[in-house]
This record gives sequence, C-alpha cells and structure tokens, in this order.
Amino acid sequence: MNAPMIRCRQLTKSYRKGKTVVTPLEALDLDVPAGEFLALMGPSGSGKTTLLNLLSGIDSPTAGSLEIAGEDIARLSRRELTAWRARHVGYIFQLYHLVPVLTAFENVELPLLLSKLSKKERHARVATALDLVGLGDRVHHVPAELSGGQEQRVAIARAIVANPSLLVADEPTGDLDRDSAARILDLLRGLARDHGKTIVMVTHDARAAAAADRTLHLEKGQLLGDACGHS
Amino acid sequence: MLPFHYAARNLLRSKSRLLQTIGGSALVVLLVMAAVAINQGMNRVLSASGSPRNVILLGTGSEESVQRSEVAAAAAGIAAAGIPGVSEELGTRAVSPEIHYMNHLGLPGGQRSQALIRGVTPEALRVHPEVRITGGTFPRAGQVMAGRLAWRKLGIGEDSLRVGSEVTLDGQSLTVSGIFAAPGTVLESEIWAPLGDLHVLARRESLSCVVLRLDDPADFTEADLFAKQRLDLELSAMRESDYYGQLRHFFKPLRVMIWITAGLIASGAVLGGINTLYAAFASRVRELATLQSIGFSRRTLLWSLVQESTLACLTGTLLASAAAVLLLDGRTVPFSIGSFTVEIGPDVALAGILTGALLGLLGALPPAIRCLKPPLPAALRMS
Repeated sequence: MNAPMIRCRQLTKSYRKGKTVVTPLEALDLDVPAGEFLALMGPSGSGKTTLLNLLSGIDSPTAGSLEIAGEDIARLSRRELTAWRARHVGYIFQLYHLVPVLTAFENVELPLLLSKLSKKERHARVATALDLVGLGDRVHHVPAELSGGQEQRVAIARAIVANPSLLVADEPTGDLDRDSAARILDLLRGLARDHGKTIVMVTHDARAAAAADRTLHLEKGQLLGDACGHS
Repeated sequence: MLPFHYAARNLLRSKSRLLQTIGGSALVVLLVMAAVAINQGMNRVLSASGSPRNVILLGTGSEESVQRSEVAAAAAGIAAAGIPGVSEELGTRAVSPEIHYMNHLGLPGGQRSQALIRGVTPEALRVHPEVRITGGTFPRAGQVMAGRLAWRKLGIGEDSLRVGSEVTLDGQSLTVSGIFAAPGTVLESEIWAPLGDLHVLARRESLSCVVLRLDDPADFTEADLFAKQRLDLELSAMRESDYYGQLRHFFKPLRVMIWITAGLIASGAVLGGINTLYAAFASRVRELATLQSIGFSRRTLLWSLVQESTLACLTGTLLASAAAVLLLDGRTVPFSIGSFTVEIGPDVALAGILTGALLGLLGALPPAIRCLKPPLPAALRMS
C-alpha cells in the first residue's frame, strides 16, 4: 500500500489563553491518500480550522507528527514552512482573500512569482488556470468587478496555478449562493478526480460534504470514528 | 518578490491617507531643507565676510565685539606707518579707521529700526574691495550709503531706502547718497556714514577698530607684533577671517535652535506619518497574512510596504523641493549683524532627498513590523 499523502499521528495543538491552556486538537490520528477529496465537518470550536491550518503549514503543532508527502512538516522552522507552503499547498478561503488592487490575472500569478518560471511560462500557466475555472474572459477584472462565485473561482485558480499536491479549503462555499456553490464543488471534485489533487475541505454544509470522497467529523478536538482506514 | 505595481496601487487605496503621508513627508523634508539652507546661508555670509588678507586692530579685551572696542584715533596713522606689508596704491596705504555703531535709525514713514552703522573714510573701499557702489556716490557729511540688503535688515520696503531717501540718526537727518553691494557678505546689510559724522553722532572720539589690508596674509605676524609691542595703544590684532569665524561660533546656538525647532515640528509630522502608515497597513493585516499563506516571506512583504511608503515620501520630497525653490530660494533672511540669502542648491536638495528616502525607509518599519507580527491563523481571521 502506498504511503498516504497526509499522515498525522498524535497530532496535538494547544495554546495559552490567559491563565488557561486551550487544546483545540488532541492526539489526532489521520491518514489521507493522495488524490482523495476529504470533507471535515463538526460544530464551531471543534478544531476543524485548526487542523486545516496545521495541514497547510500555516500553524505548527504542539506535539505529534505531521507528514505531508513524506515530509514531517512539524519539524520545519517558520521560514522553511513558508517556502514549503509555496511549493506544496494551495489554500482556498471562505471569503476568497483576493488582493483587491490586483486583477484576476495578477492575483492568480502571485504564487508563480515565488518560482523561477519565466514571465512567458507564468502567463501561460495563469491563462490555463483561469481557463480551467472558466474565467478566461475575466482576466483583467479586479475583484470588485467580479461576483462572489467568480472571486472564489479566481481564488481556486490561484490555489492550483503552482501545481501544489495539496489543496486545503476552509468553507469554500460558505459565502456563495446554491448555484455558485455547486459549481465550486464540481470544480474541486474535478481537481481531485482528473488532476490527482489531494483536497481537504472544512464545511458546515452537508451538501458540500456530500461532494467529497469521504467525510470525517471532528468534535472537541477529536475525530469521530477511524480516520486512518484501520479495520 | 511582489510586483512594484502592488505597492504603487496600494497607495491609491485611500486618497486621504495618501495625502496625509505625502503632506507629512513634504513638511518634514521642507523643514530639513529650510534648516540646512538657513545654516548654510548664515555660515556662507560669515565666511565670506572676512578676508584673510585683512587685519583688524581692536582694543585689547574687546576681541569678541568690535562694537565694544575702543581704539585711539591716532592708532590708524601709527599703524599705517609702523606695520610692514600693508597694501599700497598710488602712495596711499590700505588702512581704514572705522567706528561700528549699533543704534536705531529713523526710517521713511516714521518707522525706527536697529541698524549697524559703520563710520568710514574712502579708505574703507581699499580694505573692502568687494564693496562696489552700484548707485549714487560715497557719502559726504550729512549723508549715508546703504548696503543693497539693508532694507531687509531694517524691515522696510526696498523702495524706502534708495538714493535721495532721508533717514535720521539721533535726531540728525541724513540723506542716502548711494547704494553699495558686497556680494555674499554682511556688509551689504550695513549703513555707511562718514567717519567724522559718526564721531559726532556717536559722541565718541575713539575708533572701534582699524582695518588694514595686507599684500600677503603671512604678514599678519607683523601686525600682531606691532600690536604686542605698542603697549601704549592697547591693541589686539586679529585676522578679519578669524573675527568672522568667531562670530560663526557665536551664532552656533542660534543654528542649533533652528535645528531643534525644525526637529520638533518634524518629529510631530513623522509621528503623524507613522500613525497614518500604521492605519494603512493595519487595514490590510488579513491580506498580508494571505500573501504569507501563499508563500511570501515576511521580509518580502516588509520590502513591499517599505516601497509603498518610500514612494509616498519621495512624492512628498518632490513637492517639498518645488516649494523650497518657490518659497525659499533667493529669500533674504535678516539676523542681528546682517542678513543672508537662502539658496536651494544641490547639497540642500540632496539633504531633502536623503531625508525623504530615510523617512520612507525607516518610517515604514515600525508599523510594518507591527502589522506583520500577528500569528498567521489569527491574522487570517481578522476582518
């Protein structure tokens, strides 16, 4: 059996809040195979976003191991994590987080500015990514000139343009109408199925979770059920 | 590296903040340019006012102020005969007996203003060759000659002090017989009167000093030796350049005060600018966190924020430079012993550009570091 794309063992995150220690995630074990589209559900404060932040290298665990594509990112320094994120992760936010002063094209180009690609290669990749999300005709529009669904598709194009192996999405359809949400979910499913991307999506919406290959539930920092595929 | 247009477009996000940043930096740069130009102007005029070839014979103990000095009237003739190396033209030695008298002058229109009046003989033109009569004639009894910037020092209009105007000194009416120039020196702010008249008006028989012009500055030792040997005359010899150098030192506290005043106003503007930049950066904490989550390092983002503030500050510098040229360049500023012209030259401009660049570079650091400091998960949740 191939090594999983994501492998967490005894993954724990705690932090101090005043005099008390808060532990949003405690001794969590999780395996996610490459190319899987995984949905994480759970009530507010269950640790979904904390787990997503750990998986994407935005935050570091307090204890345990966290291997992504065979690399234990729990051991990386902040600077190394920054470089690692640029190579391996695409992050999709609920509120898109596009840079308002840049056009759709320029927003999507951002991750490629960290690579050694030539301008021509960058432009070709941006055009491909925007075509893939169906926004080839909106390249010169700034976010304020796009609808919410279009903005989220630009954000997805930005997340995939550098060809990362892992996509993490925090409530990607949470701020969209039903049609736009369905289109985004189709897009994410296609990225996993046709392009082999591993996707971890946090959602409160059961319909969104239904689009995923597997859904896991988090509660009080613990995954309910077996998240490692053990029989 | 983030593209430069990201920094440039961010500036236009809030026009009011942009105007505040540009305005604040322009004020700081203008103040620095003004302080540099004023200091330079004062230094320049005092440096140019003293010639190393000229020796001033002053009363012993009055080396710090020629106006307080008392020299016997006979000293001029004795010095002319006894000091070797004094310049000579057509059999006349370049020795100028002078009275330097500070008093209020009654001006056209009834105004009174303090003036430095120098009582001189025509020999003064030999020891002060930079003096050129640009209009009218050298004064005779009952007349005075005004330096071309004396009107500025006296605080009156230029037209009020022209050939034919009447001024009063101690109730005595005097006619302006001529206007003289002595470019770049404090002499241009003085009023020259015949020595004889000033003996009467100042009610003094003695002189303030005797000024000698030497052929060679090295002959100063002869003048110094003369002053030391003729104990009966109670004289002290000084190079004219040293006398004005001493005055330069005397005015140092004034120059320091100019810097302190400029610094105090500028620090207020700098703090205001930092506050404005902080507001601008703080409104983008989530965006900065997003860029970090994409993979941009804090250093890269810091550099972009510095570019942004430097661009605004250099725009302010450009405006300040234009304002300095329009408002300050060529202006005459009076001070106690004369007046000087403010010049916005290359070094003043360079001081302004460096100030603007430093403001942009250093001013952005505290707010930028503060806005890049929050942990990513917290920063991404900020609205």
